This record gives sequence, structure tokens and C-alpha cells, in this order.
Amino acid sequence: MAEIAPANFVDQSVVPGDVVLDLTEMANQTIKLGGGLRQDCDAIAAMKAGTLRFSRPNKYWVETSQKRYVPCVEDSVLGIVVDSKADNFLVDIKGPSLAFLPVLAFEGGTRRNIPKFEVGTLLYVRVVKANPAGGKAAEYGSLKDGYMFECSTGLSRMLLSSPTCPVLAALGRNISFEIAVGLNGRVWVNATEADKVIIVANAIMNSESLSGVQQIGMVDKLLKKINDLAT
Amino acid sequence: MEQRMANTWRMTVNEKKFIETALESGLRIDGRRPFDYRKLEIKFGKDEGSAEVHLGQTHVMAFVTAQLVQPYRDRPNDGTLSIFTEFSPMADPSFEPGRPGESAVELGRVIDRGLRESRAVDTESLCILSGKLVWAIRVDLHILDNGGNLIDAANIAALAGLLTFRRPECSLGGENGQEVIIHPPEEREPLHLIVHHLPIAVTFAFFSYESSVVIDPTHHEEAVMGGRMTATLNSNGDVCAIQKAGGEAILQGVIMQCLRIAAAKAGAISDMIKKEVDSYNTKRALLKIKRHSTPRDVDRGASDIGLKQNSSVDQMRVDEFSGHHVQRIKQECEEGIAKQSRDVESETKLSDKTQTNRSNEDTKNFIGGPSSWDPYSVGVDSDSLKASLASQGMQMPIEKQKDSKGEETRSEAKPEDAPENNNPKTSPLREAESAERANGEKTLKDAVKAKNRKSRRKSHSSSGPS
Repeated sequence: MAEIAPANFVDQSVVPGDVVLDLTEMANQTIKLGGGLRQDCDAIAAMKAGTLRFSRPNKYWVETSQKRYVPCVEDSVLGIVVDSKADNFLVDIKGPSLAFLPVLAFEGGTRRNIPKFEVGTLLYVRVVKANPAGGKAAEYGSLKDGYMFECSTGLSRMLLSSPTCPVLAALGRNISFEIAVGLNGRVWVNATEADKVIIVANAIMNSESLSGVQQIGMVDKLLKKINDLAT
Repeated sequence: MEQRMANTWRMTVNEKKFIETALESGLRIDGRRPFDYRKLEIKFGKDEGSAEVHLGQTHVMAFVTAQLVQPYRDRPNDGTLSIFTEFSPMADPSFEPGRPGESAVELGRVIDRGLRESRAVDTESLCILSGKLVWAIRVDLHILDNGGNLIDAANIAALAGLLTFRRPECSLGGENGQEVIIHPPEEREPLHLIVHHLPIAVTFAFFSYESSVVIDPTHHEEAVMGGRMTATLNSNGDVCAIQKAGGEAILQGVIMQCLRIAAAKAGAISDMIKKEVDSYNTKRALLKIKRHSTPRDVDRGASDIGLKQNSSVDQMRVDEFSGHHVQRIKQECEEGIAKQSRDVESETKLSDKTQTNRSNEDTKNFIGGPSSWDPYSVGVDSDSLKASLASQGMQMPIEKQKDSKGEETRSEAKPEDAPENNNPKTSPLREAESAERANGEKTLKDAVKAKNRKSRRKSHSSSGPS
């Protein structure tokens, strides 16, 4: 009985104001509300436009796709070094404010050999602590060469979903490339030749609003056009 | 401070290096070739003189307005043209509201120079009273989205706005001809500005590696480029202005090559602007025609359509039918109506349309000849409009219901029309009219007869199975 009401809305699009859960029907249950939901006495209403998601046992949240990123713990993001202070790097992760990256967070990093990151280096980092004022990051490493572009958070989530997103699978069959996706809406692509990088980047940027089948079709058309041009 | 720093867009070293390496092999990050423009879209707003330009992701709007002011003392016979730019903070995080920054001032100056120095807009025609009153044209450019290459997009928007802008017509009156009367648009059609040619700005970006040059840089390319040059040319190949503000030094040969490329691009872009402006003007004129006809009666809607179709036949028919040979018209009308009344009762709507429709020939012509349809090159004024409607009253394709009602109103309309149009067009049109009549009689009758047979057959077949 308690499953009927939420099942109507889970994985459906909701807009601000939609009542998604009626608490009177679900007595004696603890529910965890994630982002985008608000409690109004007995009803849970959506505050953001997006898709309602549910994960066992009792977690609900609204998944939105937007350009801004709200830092969450354990998110892998791509950051750009903005400044270096005494024992921190200031890294921009497209959040409300800059994140601190402690110098000692690197492998084999001590006070003596501080890695030198010049301003503008692209780093693949993990969010360790996220509070409204700022955040702290731990590092995986810096990304060399390649090309980074920005997209919406929804697209990055789609690229990271499993099974592999159709556009990546279709591109991977024909082109060999490296990719790093940050949940903050930044994607880094690298390949042996510049034109491959451009193809992959543009294909990904265009695939946001397409369904799986459309994505594969788009990639095929793109590759065919390029092969025709090459020959 | 930290908040601000977090909001600005940053360039990574990877991006910079990649853009430059890709350019070495002639590739750009959005897949364009070095001398390709992005997709250009020009749209017009409801007000005259407002234009919106999308150049890729760059989005600019232009508004043109006019005001009567006193002229400058050293130029008592010239109107003025001024450009104002507004860089909205929603276009780019680095734009601040308030005082225009350096790039805003530069953009305004480049566009202003292109229009003013080359005398693209004729300022002498803006003079009403020498030394006392002239029109001051003001162009406001609003940058809504900065996707790179604002100068080119803003220039196109300004030109599109100036080409579609209309100022009210003024006339001098009063005792000693010193009073200026501004006519509202309902009274007299507002006038276009006189634009002699279109100066198009083409921007080039230079990069340090291998002195590569690209046209129409995007936002990312602008952040990486070493220098920029804007050349303003028109489609005749005249150079109106060149702007190179600092940046990398470039060879003279490269500059000349850029000017040659800019000449080609300027031709293409000005053709596109003219095409869009023309289609906007035709659409607008169509709206105006409909507005003229609504005061009479609802069925005039049908007559408008008839008019448009008929005007394909020849321009002369629209202009030259007049009340002078109303007699002729009355006869034809009566015949037509008699036919109609016969047919309305007996046959289906389909046959009504075809039989009673004297514009059979016209519709045939219309289907065949879109190229000859230009009713607005010769101005249509309300008198000739009414006359032609009266003469062609029976030629309407009756697309809606109530055929009999239509006939009645049409026959009512005729006598109204007839007395109005007796005077204006008599002598010069007689020869044309007689020729028309001769032609008309022969062709119309033939057409009607042919259609009769066809439609009878059709109606029989349609009524057969049903």
C-alpha cells in the first residue's frame, strides 16, 4: 500500500509544486529526502524540476540537470587550479565557491616536495567534504593534454551511467580515446589526433537531448561524413 | 571575493594548447574550417526597426528609434545617427552593469565608424527644416549572449534594424510653412531610411603559432588568440573601416589576404540580410492589406484571397479597373451572379467555386506563375483596391459557406464602389481597359466554358457514388 503512491512518481518528471508523497499513507516509516524535495506538513513536494528518483530502502530525491554544480561528498569532479596558498591549492569546481585541495593529499607528498601546479591546470579530484561555504577535495591526479569542455550536470550523469551510455559506446567502437567525466559538468577528452578529439567532444555535446537510439544514429552519421571527407 | 572568483569562466592550459595545436592542422574546436562563419539567423520583432541576430551562440538585439532634434550648428542640413551599446551582465560573467567597459566602447566605435564614415545612411534626407529640425536616429545594441565575435553580430543586427525601421512622414504646414506636422502611421505610411550600401564587419583572430588566421572566433578562441582585426567592407568591395587594436603584429601580406576574404564574406552576408529584410517587408505588407479590408465585411476575407490570386495575372488589373467602366463590370457581375444563383441550388460547392469563379483563368495563372506575383512593387491604395474588389466580386473563390450571402453582400458592395471611383482614373486607363476587356472577354469565357465541362463531369462523378 505504501508503495503505490511513490511508484506513481518515481522516475517521472516532476515540476516545482508537485506533491510526490503523501505521508498519511506511510505511517511508521522513516524516509530520507534528498535534494529538490521539501516537506509541507504531511505532503512531500518537489522544489525543482527534474526526475524523481528512489533508492532502496528509503531515499528519495529529485535529479536535475543544470549548469551549476552543488558539491556533494564522494563526487568525482574536474577542477581547475586557481591559486596556490601555503598548504592548499584553490580549485574551481564550478560550485558556489572555490574548493581547497591540501598539498599533502598527493601520493608521496610531503612538505618538501609540493607538486607544482600552475594556474589553469586541470585536475581530477574527489570531493571529501562539502559544506555550503566551501569544500575540500582529495586528488586523483592532474590531466595532461586533451581538451576539456563544459556541459550540464545531467549530461555528465548520463555519461557516467552504467551500462555505458550509447554515445560513448558508439564512439568507442570507431575511435580510441580517453575520457574523464566530472559530475560538476566538466568533461575531458584526449586522443592521438586533434580531429578525433574534436569529433568526440562535439558528438558528446550534441547528445544531451537525444535518446539512446538517436545518439547511435547521430554518431554513425557523423563518422560516415568524416570518412567520406577523408576518402 | 571568493564567490566572484568562483563564478568567472576559466581557461585551462589544456584548452589553450589544444586549440592552438588543432589550428596548426586547420581544425577548429567546433568543427569549422578556418574561414567559415557560424550559422547566422536574423529575426525581426514586432516593432519596426528591431532585429535579433544569432551568430552561433552569440545573441545580439538592435533597436532603432528616431527623434526630432535640433541639428548641429556646422551641419544644419544633416540628421544624426548614434549608436549605443549595452553589454548585459547575463551575456558574460565578466560584464558588469553600469559604465561600459573597454570592449563595449570599442564595439560601439567600430560599428559607428562603419556606418558614419562610409555614409551608409543618408543623413540629408533626415532634414525637415534646415537648421531647426532634423531626425536623430538612435541605434541601441543589446548584447544578450557572448559566444564570441560580438562586433560582427552587432553590426548585422544594426544593419537589419536600420533597413526595417520606418520613420513617420512629416510635412510642412502652417502659415509660412514653418510648422511641422508629423503624420501618424494610420494616416500616412511611414518611410524607410535611405541606406546606400551595407557595411559588413568581418573579424579575424590571429594566433601565435604559424600565424594562423581564423574568421568569426568563438568565445574560447578569443581567449586564446594573440590579436584581432575587424575589417568593415561592403558588397562592392569598398573598405569602409579597419580596426586593429593592439595584439600581435601581423605581416602586410596577411592583412591584404584578410581584406580579400572579407570582401567575399561581406557579399554573402549582405545578400542574406537583404533576403531576410525583403521577406519581412512582404510579410508586413500582407498584414497591412488584410487590415485595409476588414472594415468592410467579413467575406472580404475571401476577396482578399481572390485579390492576391488575381494580381498574378497582371499588375494592371489591380490598378486600372476603375468605376469608369462600371457598366461593363455590372453586366459581368450580373451574368456571374446569375450563374451563381443557378449553380448554388443545383450543384456542390466544388462546382460553385469553379463555375462562378471568373478567376478560373486567374487561378490557373496563379498556380503557374509565382514569379510574376509582386503586388506591392506598385503601391496598392485603398481606392483601386475597392474598385478591383468590386469588379472581381464575382470572381471570388467561395471557400467558405454561405454562397448566397456572399453574393448579396457583393452586389451591395458594387453600387457603393461604383460612384467612388468615377473620377480618378479615366483617360490614361482607357486604352488599357479596352485592351483588358477584349482580352478578358475572350479568355474568361473560354475559361469558364472549359471549367463548366470539367466541373460538370466532376460533380457527376462525385454525386454518382454518394
